[in-house]
Amino acid sequence: MSIRHVTAGAIAALALGYGAADAGEIKIGMVTPITGPAAESGKYAQIGAKMAIEEVNAAGGVNGNTLTLVTEDDQTTNPGIIAAFSRLSTQTDIPVFLGSIRSTQVDAMSPDVMKVGKPVFIGGTAPQLTHQGNKWLFRCRPNDSYSARVIADYGVDTLGLKKWAVVHSTDAFGTGGMNALVAALKAKGLTPALVQGYPNQSPDFSAVVLAVKSSGADVMGSYFTFETDLGTFAKQVKQLGVTAKWVGSPSITDASAIKLAGPALNGTFGIADFAAGSSDEAKAFAAKYEGIAKALADNQSSWTYDAVHIAAKAMIDTKSTDPEKLRDAILAIKGYKGAEGTYNFDQNGDGLHGYNVVKNEGGKMVFDKHVEYTD
Amino acid sequence: MAIFLQLLFTGVGIGSVYALVALGFVLIYRATNVVNFAQGEFAMLGAYAMVVLTQDLALPYWLAIPISLVIMAVVGALFNLGVYYPLRHRSFLPVVISTIGASILLTNSVLVGYGPQPESLQGMFDFPGFQIGEVFLDSQYLLIIVVTILLVAFQYFFFEHTLLGKKMQATSQDKEMASLLGIPVARMIMLTFIYSALLGGLAGILVAPIMFVSVGLGSQVALKAFAASIIGGFGDVTGAVVGGLSLGIIETFGAAYISVPYKDAFAFLVLFGFLLIRPQGLFGEKVAQKA
Repeated sequence: MSIRHVTAGAIAALALGYGAADAGEIKIGMVTPITGPAAESGKYAQIGAKMAIEEVNAAGGVNGNTLTLVTEDDQTTNPGIIAAFSRLSTQTDIPVFLGSIRSTQVDAMSPDVMKVGKPVFIGGTAPQLTHQGNKWLFRCRPNDSYSARVIADYGVDTLGLKKWAVVHSTDAFGTGGMNALVAALKAKGLTPALVQGYPNQSPDFSAVVLAVKSSGADVMGSYFTFETDLGTFAKQVKQLGVTAKWVGSPSITDASAIKLAGPALNGTFGIADFAAGSSDEAKAFAAKYEGIAKALADNQSSWTYDAVHIAAKAMIDTKSTDPEKLRDAILAIKGYKGAEGTYNFDQNGDGLHGYNVVKNEGGKMVFDKHVEYTD
Repeated sequence: MAIFLQLLFTGVGIGSVYALVALGFVLIYRATNVVNFAQGEFAMLGAYAMVVLTQDLALPYWLAIPISLVIMAVVGALFNLGVYYPLRHRSFLPVVISTIGASILLTNSVLVGYGPQPESLQGMFDFPGFQIGEVFLDSQYLLIIVVTILLVAFQYFFFEHTLLGKKMQATSQDKEMASLLGIPVARMIMLTFIYSALLGGLAGILVAPIMFVSVGLGSQVALKAFAASIIGGFGDVTGAVVGGLSLGIIETFGAAYISVPYKDAFAFLVLFGFLLIRPQGLFGEKVAQKA
C-alpha cells in the first residue's frame, strides 16, 4: 500500500468521523472510574449514560445513526484520567466525550481537552473549570458558586443561623467549594468561625470534629469528595456531640454516602442538583433508573443521562458532528428539561444555574425547595 | 483537657490498628528477611470475609469471626506457597516484587468478585460507646485497644515461653542453623505466614466498622503500618507496637494542634527523621552488629 493510499484512507476516516451522515454508528467516549475509590459512582454513571443511549436509539437515533458508548477506566486518579482520555481521543470517530464528576480530575484532563478540541461534558462542580478559557468543557451540573450560595442562603435565611463552620476536602473540588461558600457568606456580611480542610481518605476525623465543636458554630457547611470520608465524619459528629445543623454539598445526598453513614446523617440538609421529587423528568428518570440499578437514583447517574441526551440533541440540531458546530449547538440549548433540571447553557458552558435543597429523613431525601439564579 | 483526652483515646485506637498490621510486617520480615507488601491486603480480605459471612450469608457475628480467621489462615498458607516459597532461594528484591504483585492481584480479585462499592460492617457491640464527662470512648476503638494488648501479651508468651515459638524465633534468626538443629524451617515459615495473615485479617475485622470495607482499606492502613515498623525498628515486635501507637498519637495530635490537611505528612516526617538519625528504629539492632 502506498503512502498516498494510507493518507487517503486517513482522510476518509476523519471525514467519516466528522460527517457521520450515514455512518451507522456514533460513538460517545466516556472516561469513568471503573477501579479506585470512586468505582462505585462510576458504575452508576455508566448506567445513566447507557439509559440515555438506549432512549435516543429507541427514538430513532441521531441523524439515522445509532449511539454507542465507549468507556475507559480513569482509575479515580489524575494520571488515570489523562491516560484514559488519551486512549479515547486517539479514536478520531468519537465526536463527544463524557468526563468526570470529580473536579480535580477534570482539572487534570483539561489541557488535553483543549488540545483535542472536541466537546467534553463534565459533572465536576468547581466553578473555575468552565471559567478559565477552555471552551470545550460543558457542565451538566450546577457549579459550586451556586451550591455555595444555596448553602449560605438556606442556612442564613431559612434556618436563621449565622455562626458557620466550613469543612472541606483539600482537593480541587473541596477547595473550590470552600472558597465559594466563604465568598457567599461574606456577601451576607458573615465570616465563618472555622474553615477546616482535611485530606481525602482519612481513617479518623476526630481533630476536625473537635475543631467544629470548639468553634461554637451553630451551622456547618461541608464539601466532601468521598462517601467513605463523609460516613466516618458523620459518625464522629454524632459520637462527639456536635449539635450544629449541617447543610452539605451534593455528596451528602449520594446513595452510597447515605448507606454508609446510616442514621448519622438523619436530619441533615443537602444541596442536591438531582432530587427525585423536583420535576416530572426527575421522577421519570428516578423510577426507571431504580428499576435498572436497584439503587437510589442520585446525581452520579443523572448528569451522565442528561449529558448523552444533550449531546444527541446538539448533533440532531446541527445535523453534524463537527466540533465547532456542536459547540454552537450546545451553547444554543435553552429550556431543555433534563433529570437534573432545566438547561440554559451560558457562554462559559454551564448548563444549570440552581440547586434543590433536600432533607435526610430516616435515610430518605425529602425535597424541600428549588433555588434558581439568573445571574 | 477533655479534648486532649479525646484525641489521646482516638490516637491510641488508630495506633493500635497500625500496630496490629505492623506486627504482621515484622513477623514475616523476621522469618524470611523480606517485606510483605500485601500485608494490608490481608486486612482488606479479613474485612470482606466478615461482610460476606454476616451480610450475604447472614451468619451471626460471633460465628463469622472464627470462620473469617480460618479463611485468613488458609489465605496465609496459600500466600506462602504461591508467593514466597517458589522464590525462597532468590534475593530480597524478586520476593518483594512478588508480594507487590500479590497485593495488586488480591485487590483486583476482590474488585472483580465483590464489586467496587464500599460496604459498612456493624461493630461487635450494639452500644456505640461510653460517655465519660466530655470524652466519648467508642466501643470499637476500646475493643481494638484491648485486642492489641492481649495479642502483644500472647505474642510475648508464645515466642518466649513455648517450644514452637522458640523454633519460629530460631528460624527467623538463622535459617541454616535452625535447619541443622532439626527445626523444620519450611514449616516454621508457613506458620509465620499463617499467623501474619491472621493478624492482618483481625486488624481488618476490627477496623472495618470504623473505616468501612473497600478494596482500598488495606493500602490505607498498610502504608502507615509500614512506617510504624520502621520507626519501631524493622524486625522488632515491641518496636512495631510502640511505632504504631506513636504514629497514631502523633498524627492525631498533629492534626488537632498543627494542621489537619498535613496530618499524613507528620507520620512521614517522623519516618524521615528516624531514617536520617536512627535508621535502625527505636528498638532495632544495627545491621552491622548482626553481620
